[in-house]
Amino acid sequence: MSNQRRHRILMVSDFYYPNFGGVENHIYYLSQCLLTLGHKVVVMTHAYGNRSGVRHVTGGLKVYYVPWVPFIMQNTFPTLYGTLPIIRTILVREKISLVHGHQAFSTLCNEALMHARTMGYKVVFTDHSLYGFADVGSIHMNKVLQFTLADVSQAICVSHTSKENTVLRSGLPPEKVFVIPNAVDTAMFKPAAERLSSDEIIIVVISRLVYRKGADLLVEVIPGVCRLFPNVRFIIGGDGPKRVRLEEMREKHSLQDRVDMLGAVPHAKVQSVLISGHIFLNSSLTEAFCIAILEAASCGLLTVSTRVGGVPEVLPDDMIVLAEPDPDDMVQAIAKAIQILPQIDPQNMHLRMKKLYSWHDVAKRTEIVYDRALKCSDQNLLERLSRYLTCGSWAGKLFCLVMIIDYLLWHLLQLWKPDAHIEEVPDITYGQQEERPSNFD
Amino acid sequence: METGRTDSPASSQPKWRKVAYGGMQPGFDDNHIDESFLAEMVMNANVVKRSMLKVMLDSVSISQYLCVVALVVLVWTYTLQSIISENLLLLLDVIVLGLGFLVLVSTAETLSFSLLLNYFLKISFFITALYVLSPIYHTLTRSISSDSIIALTASLIVLHLFLHNYSGSTVKALGALENPSFTSNISLNASIVASLLIASRLPSRLHVFAIVFFSVQVFLFVPLVTYCIKKYSFRLHIFVSFVLMMVTLTFVYRLHTLLFVLFFGVLVFVNLVCPYWLIRIQEYKFEINGPWDEAKLCFDITE
Repeated sequence: MSNQRRHRILMVSDFYYPNFGGVENHIYYLSQCLLTLGHKVVVMTHAYGNRSGVRHVTGGLKVYYVPWVPFIMQNTFPTLYGTLPIIRTILVREKISLVHGHQAFSTLCNEALMHARTMGYKVVFTDHSLYGFADVGSIHMNKVLQFTLADVSQAICVSHTSKENTVLRSGLPPEKVFVIPNAVDTAMFKPAAERLSSDEIIIVVISRLVYRKGADLLVEVIPGVCRLFPNVRFIIGGDGPKRVRLEEMREKHSLQDRVDMLGAVPHAKVQSVLISGHIFLNSSLTEAFCIAILEAASCGLLTVSTRVGGVPEVLPDDMIVLAEPDPDDMVQAIAKAIQILPQIDPQNMHLRMKKLYSWHDVAKRTEIVYDRALKCSDQNLLERLSRYLTCGSWAGKLFCLVMIIDYLLWHLLQLWKPDAHIEEVPDITYGQQEERPSNFD
Repeated sequence: METGRTDSPASSQPKWRKVAYGGMQPGFDDNHIDESFLAEMVMNANVVKRSMLKVMLDSVSISQYLCVVALVVLVWTYTLQSIISENLLLLLDVIVLGLGFLVLVSTAETLSFSLLLNYFLKISFFITALYVLSPIYHTLTRSISSDSIIALTASLIVLHLFLHNYSGSTVKALGALENPSFTSNISLNASIVASLLIASRLPSRLHVFAIVFFSVQVFLFVPLVTYCIKKYSFRLHIFVSFVLMMVTLTFVYRLHTLLFVLFFGVLVFVNLVCPYWLIRIQEYKFEINGPWDEAKLCFDITE
């Protein structure tokens, strides 16, 4: 690969391992696949407990755990300018050419994108979640997103619904927003070697037991299904504030022997839980993409899910049964799933998933977005300020002020510690790079 | 790289589908914008067209309660100035209690004898407790200056008015579906603290007893009574409100002209300016709904 096409990418998000979720997963797999494509990738996140400093993980992926303490829901405290020095140092040290931020409510991501734009870098942003427009929290978040995206080079969303949402929230021209879904590591999520007996049908639920994931819906659905089908059992993996309600439901309907509550399931064990079931049940009330469905389908499970957000786009119609988020409709959908279950071959399903989703495909499509971002014309401060001004009569002026101060601070920093004084890191090529990629096919 | 619509002949080109699986769709870039883009967006689906008259009539509830609070404050002021004696206060208590029960009995559809007995028992308990405790209230704030007490009372009353639930009732009314909200409880507490503070400035224990009893009756039960009246007949509610406004305005005028002007201004603001304002800003309403909204559960969650 020619040296010119090699991008040097900094991934920024508050959410990264050891924390676990869709965003963390996405950043890790995308970075790994970009590395195999020959790009250089560096990840920046905040310190987790005593995990602070620089770490090297699989495949020469370098992770900066910036010593910046999270204050709520793993988010760093928003300081606007506090992170400028360290972000500048990392950008210069690693000779970064492009900054890629993840997740709208990550403060670190928002600040990094702002500083990177000030310093003239091209930035790409990926939005992983959906937001409404009605409540105060969403209104505030949408304004912040508008500020971050006002000057972003290109944006990526994980589903078409998410793209519509992001375009509405940020006022970004839709041709600047790309849809690149998540994928699944099909090598890790393999179906059981032998087909399960169909005398007893096992329905698996793996999700955090919170309101947004529809735990209350489960409380209504499970007794109904157990009443209709005496040969159905439930396995529920996950923990959360709504666990008590589920346990109450189990006692009230005396379903102790038919509903297993496993508690939190570590991600490494998810596959072994999934392959013990026939049907995967997702009851989320809002979902931009839902990786859990992919993992289940890759393990050969038939999925029953609520028709919310981006879920209808995720799987072909014959691999998923959709229902409205209403207990009666969900019970009917499960009945339909049980009926078509004999036609489902887990191995076949797994092979289809291999063709439908791969992280390598995601990385290649992301690469195209990076190429586009780098082709965007350079703009000076005045041209960029005019974009911020259009964000609103008051907000626009405020945003401009924030950017001007950022610009001044950046110049002060350059006087105090010129770029030439920052040591550049030599690139290390890893010998075993050729052996590794098979994991992510 | 242009947007995908232009390249490859139209005949062989498969149709673009709104799906995320199967990699990049042949012939279309990832930033392709289909005609179906934002097709499922719904704007202003839940907007209610309001008529000026309706809003004005609804806002009468607010001004009615403002008058009630103003009357209580008037009673406090006259008592502090020793214009109202303790005997007159006790008479006032009895009148208010009697009137309240009269309204409750005559407007309620189902009112059993046992419930009335229950009310009487509770009230007698309350009266006894209050009477026993009044010496404590009497000396409660002796070491604090009157100015601080007045200032604190005023701010508590403002807090009370700000958080008061104007559409419901402070205690759970018969047949009301919901329990009082958290903010309305805070509001009630603020008003009771305010009346205790005022009571602690009075000369005798009987004064204290009478004024606290009066204030608690008003703050606790007047919302219930007005709620019952409103449910019984809306016309009666409007009539009562106008009578209350006239009475209050007369008394405030006799107390102080500037206060009268202020109070009159507030009433005009609440009943005329605010409804007009609300109708005017309705046209700026811009509500967006779509598939990205969080689904609402169609059943109640019983914790």
